[in-house]
Amino acid sequence: MKTTAKDVMVTSFKTLSPDSPITEALEIFKSSKQDGKTIFGIMVIDKNGSIAGMISMYDILLILLPKHVKIWGNISDIEINGIIERATSKLKNYFVGDIMTPKVISVTPETHLMMVLDIMIKKHVRRLPVISNGEAVGMVYISDLFNHFLERV
Amino acid sequence: MKILKDTLTGLKVRDAMRKQLIMLDPGDTIDCGIQYLIKYKINAILVGKDGQKPLGVVSKTDIMGAWYSGFALSTPIEMIMNSPPFFCSPDDTLNSALDTMKSNRIYRLYALRPDSNTIEGIIAYPDIVGLLYHYCSNCDQGIFNKTEALHKDRVKRYKVHEIMTKQVESCNEQTPLESVVEILWGSRFGAILVSDDKNYPKGVISKTDVTFCYRHGYDMSVTAGKIMSTPVALCYEKDPVESAIKSMILKDLHRMFVIPKKHQAVSGVISLTDAARLRSGSCHACISSRIRIDDD
Repeated sequence: MKTTAKDVMVTSFKTLSPDSPITEALEIFKSSKQDGKTIFGIMVIDKNGSIAGMISMYDILLILLPKHVKIWGNISDIEINGIIERATSKLKNYFVGDIMTPKVISVTPETHLMMVLDIMIKKHVRRLPVISNGEAVGMVYISDLFNHFLERV
Repeated sequence: MKILKDTLTGLKVRDAMRKQLIMLDPGDTIDCGIQYLIKYKINAILVGKDGQKPLGVVSKTDIMGAWYSGFALSTPIEMIMNSPPFFCSPDDTLNSALDTMKSNRIYRLYALRPDSNTIEGIIAYPDIVGLLYHYCSNCDQGIFNKTEALHKDRVKRYKVHEIMTKQVESCNEQTPLESVVEILWGSRFGAILVSDDKNYPKGVISKTDVTFCYRHGYDMSVTAGKIMSTPVALCYEKDPVESAIKSMILKDLHRMFVIPKKHQAVSGVISLTDAARLRSGSCHACISSRIRIDDD
């Protein structure tokens, strides 16, 4: 029995535009937590309906990371509260397109699950967009893939 | 016999270099390049193919020049890259790396492993400052380590006015962005001060701000007042260099503008690059204490 990406992908997912303010992405991350299905990556779709990139928790954390943090280890009297506020306030100046990852690996609905697994392991990704005829039709999460295999053990 | 006379003597590139390397494919667009510069908070990005010796490097200055010259954001990055990048060895001394940067008027070197042609790290002025700061913070004479009893300094500390750049490029809030780019391009300064008619600082426009405007489709006729970053980070001429460096490190800044006293006009600018060029700690103690005669 052939099992492919379409058997494990979710077809209901949020998307963003590259021109969306970053606050919109933050709202989606926050609301997903409240809904009980925490998401850590959102697809970014351009005005032609094609995938422009992905924005993940990692991309946002990267922007929050201070540029000279390597040197901080030697500074003992840092008032961390002010620093976190400054970093989060700067975050609001960005748009999704500024910090998303533009090079996205994707699969098709017909990609075999073992190929999906291979990509996730080799490329260290936890989610893969599923593209059909240039349009995003789903998302495969590593947790769903894992659960799918668990059921067969 | 040779005299070793500064804090960096004996240290190698690998002691200060960063290992996180970001590389773009030659066919990637300028837009993609700007995204990576913003995201990773870097000033330049390597261009090349995976597993091969890098072909070139693209800096914020190159991207600013591309906008000024009318290149579309979709232009392949290889069209504007400088080739080849400047390389050094991870085992070169920091002093020789600084000499190479100074003589070639460049701001970073890529540490190449000669045996495999792979890049092991990158060294830029702020990395060297980081090492100097590390040295000062561990020193008994460090300004933040001195107890109250020892607070009366016997060593002469470098003050900001001793190493600042006295020439400051500025414009006013009505200056069009096109003129700002011309000034930045011509002066090789990383940022321009936006001041009022009394020369008081109102804002600052850095090359990062310019690349951000490019990416977001701004018109070159937009005025400086609309795109400047505020507030302006300031320090005083008589502040110890160590304090200014600490402020820049904690505030994620590369430079601070200098004023003689409160509410006075800007008299200079101090950057992490200036601090690195000092090649020593932030006081004269380490220079004298570390001078030693080394037999050949």
